Amino acid sequence: MIEITKLTKRFGSLTAVDSLDLRIEAGDIFGFIGPNGAGKTTTMRILVTLMEPTSGAAFIDGLDVTKKGKDVRRRVGYMPDFMGVYDDLKVFEYLEFFAAAFGIEYRKRKAIVEGVLELTDLVSKQSAAVDSLSRGMQQRLGLARVLIHDPKVLILDEPASGLDPRARIEIRELLRELKRMGKTIMISSHILSELEEICDQVGIIEHGQLVFGGTIEEIRPRLGLHSKVRVKVLDGDEQAIELLTALPQIESVESAGEYLSVTFREGEQTDGIIARTLVNGGVDLVYLQPEQLKLDDAFLKLTKGIVH
Amino acid sequence: MVIGVRQMLGTLVRPGWLTGPIFEKELRVSSRRRRNYWLRSIYILLLAAFVAIVWLGVVEYQGSTAFAQSRMAVAGKRIVMTVVLFQFFATQILAVIMLSTAISDEAYHRTLGLLMTTPINSLQIVMGKMLSKLLQLLLLLGITLPILAIVRVLGGVSWGYLLSSLCITLTAVIFAGSLSLFISIRNRRAYAVIVRAMFVLGCFYFVLPLVLAAVLRVGWAPGFGNTGSTSSIGLLALLMHINPCYGIGHVTQVMLAPGTGLQFSWPTHCTIMLGLSGIVLARAVQVVREIALRQATGQLELTANGRRLALGKRRRTDSVEGPVKRVLGPAVVWKELRAPFIQGVDNRNSYIGLIITVVALLGTYWVVSQDGSLDESFVHASYGLLFVSMGGIFNIVFSATRITSEKESQTWSLLLATPLTSTQVLFGKAVSAFRRCLPIWALLGGHLAIFIFAGYIHPIAVFHLSILILWLTVFVTGAGLYFGTRFNRTTSSVVAVFALALGLWVLGPIVGGMLALLNNRADRVVNYMYFHPSVQTELIMAGASGTDNADLPLAALDYGNERILLGAARRAFGVGRMTVILLGTGAVYIGLGLVFFWRARCRLRRHIF
Repeated sequence: MIEITKLTKRFGSLTAVDSLDLRIEAGDIFGFIGPNGAGKTTTMRILVTLMEPTSGAAFIDGLDVTKKGKDVRRRVGYMPDFMGVYDDLKVFEYLEFFAAAFGIEYRKRKAIVEGVLELTDLVSKQSAAVDSLSRGMQQRLGLARVLIHDPKVLILDEPASGLDPRARIEIRELLRELKRMGKTIMISSHILSELEEICDQVGIIEHGQLVFGGTIEEIRPRLGLHSKVRVKVLDGDEQAIELLTALPQIESVESAGEYLSVTFREGEQTDGIIARTLVNGGVDLVYLQPEQLKLDDAFLKLTKGIVH
Repeated sequence: MVIGVRQMLGTLVRPGWLTGPIFEKELRVSSRRRRNYWLRSIYILLLAAFVAIVWLGVVEYQGSTAFAQSRMAVAGKRIVMTVVLFQFFATQILAVIMLSTAISDEAYHRTLGLLMTTPINSLQIVMGKMLSKLLQLLLLLGITLPILAIVRVLGGVSWGYLLSSLCITLTAVIFAGSLSLFISIRNRRAYAVIVRAMFVLGCFYFVLPLVLAAVLRVGWAPGFGNTGSTSSIGLLALLMHINPCYGIGHVTQVMLAPGTGLQFSWPTHCTIMLGLSGIVLARAVQVVREIALRQATGQLELTANGRRLALGKRRRTDSVEGPVKRVLGPAVVWKELRAPFIQGVDNRNSYIGLIITVVALLGTYWVVSQDGSLDESFVHASYGLLFVSMGGIFNIVFSATRITSEKESQTWSLLLATPLTSTQVLFGKAVSAFRRCLPIWALLGGHLAIFIFAGYIHPIAVFHLSILILWLTVFVTGAGLYFGTRFNRTTSSVVAVFALALGLWVLGPIVGGMLALLNNRADRVVNYMYFHPSVQTELIMAGASGTDNADLPLAALDYGNERILLGAARRAFGVGRMTVILLGTGAVYIGLGLVFFWRARCRLRRHIF
């Protein structure tokens, strides 16, 4: 659905996007991650035809964004990292204005606006002035706006920034609902744990270059990160460490306060071996929990955090 | 006790107690802005051009040396008067423009609340902003001092005039700047501040004298009405002390013709103006504190709606007036027509402003009728000039702000991310600019309708003025939209269009005049002036108004008004030639306007962020 080939954008001597290659399949949620100034927003702006690339190409639904700008805009809903509002419009008017801007016929607009208001849970606010909404409400209104023309692709630049936890959860649920509706979503965020829960794929970008692209499961082997398991025993930590260290599949066992952190050798994770070993060794096992690789860890490992 | 007094004196003497670090920060920031250097350069260029044209006009090159020397004193007086009047008006306009973002920028970038979390107080914020801009304006005033000092050697100009005019100008600048700063506290858009400040100053300088004259039933200017009466002299004395225009006018008149003046104390005038500025600034300090504290606690709402909400005067969900309106017709056009006339001002308040303007206008009709001049052609020419100038200025401001205000409120990229074509967006913006100027054109239309009906204006003036307004609107709107696409800041865009207008219609004639005088080809300047909107307005109205002209058949109308065209030889011409001149000018300017539209269309999707 989205294909980027050797995309480059330069601002004078600064290269914001550097030969970026990316492919996002239809119906996927793609998390676009990178430190500030990495080139995420510039890439998104090129995709929504608000900027021209210096070189390279980008396609949305098979359409070249530099040549078929108007057709691309019909297929894309773009939510920038800031909430631009018209002070003097009400919520319904704001959405209907954009419906008209997207060329939706007058007789269909009311039903469409009511539909997106319902989807974003803004029905009670339809007569409120746009600038009187709270930030969370404005973000929801932003999402309602990008849905107004039923685009195939949503490009959302940090839609959850500055929101409280409840609003973030609501936005996340809304994105899940949109995925169920078959939308292809490209989303950038600094709240990495949120992307982890909803993204099918992630792309980590730094200095305008993609340093990783793939599923979250693919990150671990790519980074040489080994599987870890948390083990809590009733008592006898030392005995447990002794038993587990003796296993050839285990690389290390470390005490992490309340629990033990067990690291497997690469490709050696074996279900049940830890539980079996401990129980057979007479140690009372309280719980055994696989440690998930956090996107934050991958992000920190992959990027140096250098800002342009 | 002694230590306490010493500490207090120490604090007062210490530099920066009044402004804190704001003053230094503002100077540092302004020194990095290219536009300030441009501003000074343009100011000097304009000033030099004015001085040169006056010099060349008075000291004729073709005369003998003895004759030329005999004209030196006259030239000295004229040059000093030109410089003084130029800087009087120019520096006030600059003060309004430069202080139009003084506080709103801080509030908009949410730094006002941050300042309140430091030991800086609201007095230091206000005075820091005010004095830093004032220093830059003082520099501009200082630039003219060597010219004035040199020209004074030619004779005829007293030190007293230089001192008094400088002080009157300075206090007027402080007042205009204070007003602009005060208005900028609650307006995020620079153009709204500029328009409002100009409106208030216009009321204070021009409408108030009219109202006072109407109330006291006397003339409002020397040589007008029954100025010989005691009440008239009393009114003039009052106006001179509270109105800088009258003050500067009086001291200049005394300089040109000593002994003809009324009793006027310029130190008193300056004290009154400083007092008025002090009141405005004191109120500004108070309001800044309220706004800053509100922002520091996360409650700031800069817009009118937000203010009402913050004051608890209206329910949150009902802050835009009226019911939900359905979008009809082209989206951008609908949105622009839905918006209030002036951003942040309820249409109700705009209508109140319009009613006040209409009442003031009717008041002027009444005052003029008392003088028995309502049937004179020069009166209608003056009204025509007023309406066209106002309409032109409004058109410049509104067309130059249509795009930049969207950029500033960060909605521009949202609009451009829709499939709307560049032409559709530009058309909507052009309609918006025209719609906002409609009240002025409606007033002109009303004036024409009333006085055509009364038999004081010939109906052909409607046709001629329509052509004039058409080309003026197309040209100015095109230029405004073009500069809107070039700049991200409203102030830059407005200043650019004003600079274009000044270049074409002020600097152009001056430079042309200089060249023509050097080459003894004044006829070229006269030809150029036929393309000038103000000259065209005056020609149309002077030729087709007044009881002498209103009843004439079309073929008998005469538009050769020698008063306007720089003393050039009178050349009588009729309605046909007037129409040809207007259509020719219209074709040229509409062509230029369309070129601007085309360039704006090409640039619309560049410099979006």
